[in-house]
Amino acid sequence: MNLPPKTRMLLRHETVLLAVLVAEFLFFGVAGRNFGTPDNLANIVRHSVEIGLLALVMMPVVLAGGIDLSVGSTLGLCAVLFGKLWRDGGLHWEVAAVATLGIGATAGGVNALLITTLRLPPLIVTLGTYSLFRGLAEAITHGTDAFTRFPPTFLFLGTGRIAGIPAQAWIFVSVAVAMWLLVHRTTFGRSWRAIGFAPEGARYAGLPVGRRLAFAHVLAGTVAALAAITYTARFGTAKADAGTGYELAAITAVVLGGTSIFGGIGSVHGTLLGVAAIAVLGNGLSRVPATMSNAGELSGLLTGVLLVLALAGGAVPKWFVDRRSRKDPAPVLP
Amino acid sequence: MLKRHFREFSVLGVLLSVLALLGVFAPDFFAPQPLLSRLTAAAPKLVVACGIAMVMISRQIDISVGSLFAVCSVVCGLLAAAKMPVPLAIASAIAAGAIGGALNGVLVAGLRLPSIVVTLATMVTLREGLRLARQGVFIDLPDGLQWIGLPMIGGQYLVCGIALTVLAAMAAVMRHLAIGRAVYAVGSDAEAARLAGIRPRLITFVVFVLMGALTGLAAVMNVVQSPQVDPNTGRMLELEAIAAAVVGGVAVSGGRGNLGGVLVGFLLLACITPALTYIGVKPYWDKAIQGAVILLAVVADGLRNRKNGR
Amino acid sequence: MFRSFALFLCVGLALLTGCSRSGPDTGAAPSGGAPAGKRLTIAFMPKSKGNGYFVSCKQGADQAAKDLGAELIFDGPVSPDPAKQNEIIENWITLGVDVIAVACENKDGISTALKRAKDKGIKIVTFDSDAEPATRDFFVNQATPEGIGNALMDEAARLCGGTGEFAIITASLTAQNMIEWQKFIEARRMAKHPGMKMVALRPCDDLKDKAQAEATTLLGAYPHLKLLMNICSPAVPGAAEAVKQAGKAGKVKVIGLGLPNENRRYLKDGTTDTVILWKTVDLGYLTVQAAAALAKGELKAGATSFKGGKLGEFRIVGDNILLGEPFKFTKENIDQFDF
Repeated sequence: MNLPPKTRMLLRHETVLLAVLVAEFLFFGVAGRNFGTPDNLANIVRHSVEIGLLALVMMPVVLAGGIDLSVGSTLGLCAVLFGKLWRDGGLHWEVAAVATLGIGATAGGVNALLITTLRLPPLIVTLGTYSLFRGLAEAITHGTDAFTRFPPTFLFLGTGRIAGIPAQAWIFVSVAVAMWLLVHRTTFGRSWRAIGFAPEGARYAGLPVGRRLAFAHVLAGTVAALAAITYTARFGTAKADAGTGYELAAITAVVLGGTSIFGGIGSVHGTLLGVAAIAVLGNGLSRVPATMSNAGELSGLLTGVLLVLALAGGAVPKWFVDRRSRKDPAPVLP
Repeated sequence: MLKRHFREFSVLGVLLSVLALLGVFAPDFFAPQPLLSRLTAAAPKLVVACGIAMVMISRQIDISVGSLFAVCSVVCGLLAAAKMPVPLAIASAIAAGAIGGALNGVLVAGLRLPSIVVTLATMVTLREGLRLARQGVFIDLPDGLQWIGLPMIGGQYLVCGIALTVLAAMAAVMRHLAIGRAVYAVGSDAEAARLAGIRPRLITFVVFVLMGALTGLAAVMNVVQSPQVDPNTGRMLELEAIAAAVVGGVAVSGGRGNLGGVLVGFLLLACITPALTYIGVKPYWDKAIQGAVILLAVVADGLRNRKNGR
Repeated sequence: MFRSFALFLCVGLALLTGCSRSGPDTGAAPSGGAPAGKRLTIAFMPKSKGNGYFVSCKQGADQAAKDLGAELIFDGPVSPDPAKQNEIIENWITLGVDVIAVACENKDGISTALKRAKDKGIKIVTFDSDAEPATRDFFVNQATPEGIGNALMDEAARLCGGTGEFAIITASLTAQNMIEWQKFIEARRMAKHPGMKMVALRPCDDLKDKAQAEATTLLGAYPHLKLLMNICSPAVPGAAEAVKQAGKAGKVKVIGLGLPNENRRYLKDGTTDTVILWKTVDLGYLTVQAAAALAKGELKAGATSFKGGKLGEFRIVGDNILLGEPFKFTKENIDQFDF
């Protein structure tokens, strides 16, 4: 498309998404009850930290042309093992938390190993570990054991505030900034982009493709473990069902945020906007009198619609341009 | 033959050894009537898995089948409960599936949106829309719908027969007919297929419509097995179907896989959970063992590819 | 790239501060007890949405809210995420509801959120399944986990004549309240019915079709099975259909916790022997009545009875409002109920 740079900037996915987010804020600010109060904004942040963390690390995996369906199960497994280390292993929670990060990295490492050394498709490997990790969490606890009564210093991480802002938001912001720098300001980010754009090309260009992909998966596992810790601190309980369904929520946020599911295109700030758009929608719907009794269903339904619109919004103009140029261009099926 | 279908045969080997172990430790597993009932209950999943295999061969994916399955079940149930003649109710359910599939097809082939995202969106939209509309209340069916009025055994043979017919027909079409080869061609290399005179977008659209219709058919095959419809049905069906196709050797990267492999993968996954009950394994091992089986099936393939220097 | 990131941050911050400034005047902050004249807002949460059991509770809740002229919010988790109930409660705190009525999925987990609501002056009623007693004002008690466990186990033993194998079908291995029930079922078995043997426990993901498949497998795997005990509502008709199709109706008994309408046909044709439940519509009605009375200050700690609208007087023991004993639906009485 030959459009002036300013128009192109306006049409950029992130800009459109930002407009959607602003529209949500304005709409719910007017129509929603007590929507804009600081306490409610804190709620929105608190409730989206885990899915946000998973989305932040899902993003590089998707950017590099992969996918990770196992992050929710990794969260569950890590939550259970964290509880086990703390309660049965008698470790201080700080020590247990560090060990949990190691466990998460190992879980990511299993994915990485299978994907890179055996050259297996990430969708299938992580579909297997999705079941395996959740299954291990259930087997360890027999499904029934719950870890609870954590010390107040630990629960502060999930329920307290530092400088008026929810404690876990600081963790989230640190990870977000680090991820932004990693993806947009280092060679790592550039190589993920290159691998996602053209894997063979990246290989011929001398990029250590396997190592870079492995790093993305280990990072995903580690941050999933971090999410397990903030989850447990917020909920006060760790059980084998922690984080059920979070992988799809994270993927939804990443894709809504403009990252191409085929890799090569995407941004961390887009992902953050995607997380925010979904979280604000869910929270806002539960405050509008007409929708507050159907907030759960409607937020799912509207997220689906938003997802299609966000993608179609980019595709429809292209379709017209294609039409006008009167040639059937090469199909870009995945 | 063995070399070309290594994956299918290795999974078949795993399946046969599981069955042999069962034969030794739990021979009751093969008692005919419970076995037929279990196969009948699983038959709709085979139909969905066949559809998924076709979608994956064309290099797409469909994760909305579970939600569409529930919608079609409810459509069939509501129409039958409203005294519509049984054949019409069944036809409407299949049509509803085809319409759902066409919606996916338009978005994927027409607007060229990625299928995983499109079907992720239709998955949540259909599921939550159904929850809004039905709130989870069961639908009581009139008497003529269960087993389509046949005696139970007849109905069970019919359901299993339909599943096998679908499998055989699709295997034949995919192998021998031009349209089946076109699906492979589009999945391997859409641009090359286009240059060879195939219309990739049309093929993709048709594949999605067919997937929807098969989902509708599967929903009907499930609805006739009991006198009530649970609108929450079909949850996780997409993952079970994808797992069956993948274990059976269908490649996510498109262009590779066959329906025989899907049957083997489906049978392996379908027999594991009951097998664990028969040999008395505690239920909390279910998911871990299922995950391990999926991984083992693909790891064997991966190791072989590595050895062959691919 | 960096500029757009910075721009996005600035706009976000501006938005946040703008909204929080306009916050306080968009509605009254929550306070303990509703001021006279203001419409009462009652938030009512099921364990999950899309479940027939809670749909019938909602019928009663809607009726009570109408009778009282109160606003009723009915929302709950649509996903199997156990932390979702907490999130909804935290959202209700900032929404400014007067009273929350909740059926707790996870006793330990939800108590942190309920405690926070209580600290803000919001009244808390639990129904169906309780939270930590310290975190709520009253529990509308239709049956304790112990009562449910005992009733199921006693009924099973009665039907089997005191000896025999039985299996349990549950929703999921991790559902907290079902874990509690299983504990009491096992305790009762050990204490009173040592002749009964629990041979298997299978999850059905709260799906009728899956329960039917699991029951079929159990019937084949355990040929001496005398009874299937179903502790989630979709499993009761699922198991009954499996028993019927296996031609074992009457030989293998089916009992469970379920809804009359879903089990009518099986109770009538004798496949299912007993369905244990309470009058769920009344449970919803009484819960909302109690919630409203609590918020208005009419119901206080230490009360020994409570008048629940059109349903009449209910006894209160400690901080439990008793709905009455669990009810046994059988072939004889099923036609008197429609929910």
